[in-house]
Amino acid sequence: MKYTIEHISQGEEEVILRCHSPSAEMEQLIRYLESRSRKLIGIRDGIRTVVEQPEILYVESVEGKTFAYTESEVFQMEHSLAQMEQLLGAVNFFRCSKSMILNIDRVRELRSLASNRIEATMCNGERIMISRTYASEFRRRLRGGR
Amino acid sequence: MSREGGIVKRRGEKLSLLERYLAVEIEIEFKACLYFFCILFFYSMYRLMCGSAEASILHMGEMIVLTYGMGYFQKYVLAGFDEADRMGIRETGFLFLCVGIYAAVSWLGAWFDRRLPVTFFYAFYMALAYVCGFLVYKIKRALDAKRLNEDLRAFQRRDAAEEDGNS
Repeated sequence: MKYTIEHISQGEEEVILRCHSPSAEMEQLIRYLESRSRKLIGIRDGIRTVVEQPEILYVESVEGKTFAYTESEVFQMEHSLAQMEQLLGAVNFFRCSKSMILNIDRVRELRSLASNRIEATMCNGERIMISRTYASEFRRRLRGGR
Repeated sequence: MSREGGIVKRRGEKLSLLERYLAVEIEIEFKACLYFFCILFFYSMYRLMCGSAEASILHMGEMIVLTYGMGYFQKYVLAGFDEADRMGIRETGFLFLCVGIYAAVSWLGAWFDRRLPVTFFYAFYMALAYVCGFLVYKIKRALDAKRLNEDLRAFQRRDAAEEDGNS
């Protein structure tokens, strides 16, 4: 694979990858760039699309596949939930159950339920349950613990 | 993952199961004690009004066993109805069922000398205790929700401020 570095004096820095189809080497490079940026690659309607991390409301694992949900779209991600947890990495993404990661910044309201569970209402009205197993850790995260 | 890591993971899972079991057990025992003291208060007042300052240990033993058993019954069979968000038809039905069981056991154990008016008043008293318990849990959850949302806003403000600092 050949590469070219173009020095610019102004404008936004950008990485453009040109390929016929992504090779293993290319995939590795994309993973590295994803981990450094706030953009992820998801698939919608069979097309690879950039997903902005702040737009993700929650990530869910269903039947071995991982999906990222924004306010109006769903993207199938190429990573497992555990990998997504590492990639998202930021304080505002919280593992709220065995199969879900929640973006705390996109939570509109919280409701306390019986048996120490918490219900999170997202900014698009969807409701997500935080089980009692994860509720204590969630409270700690809100108060500034990591 | 090393074998050592696997053992640590299994131990972690066992601890989590133990923690969950203990959490449920403590919850049931707390409620059992609460309802036991409610019953004991009513029983004590009844004994005093009958001119006696003595209480039967046998009756108290029956009371604590009953409240403990009812705790398990409420938790695992009646889905913890006394902590429900609202007192609907199902929850009201469960309430009457539990009150009926308490009244029946008090009658069988002759806690109130099998006096029908006293037993009815005791049933009404237990129904009131359940309603109070339901309201207490509801208020507790409302206060908890208020605090959770305050923490949420503070978190989101902190996160936004850090984002502005990094950009």
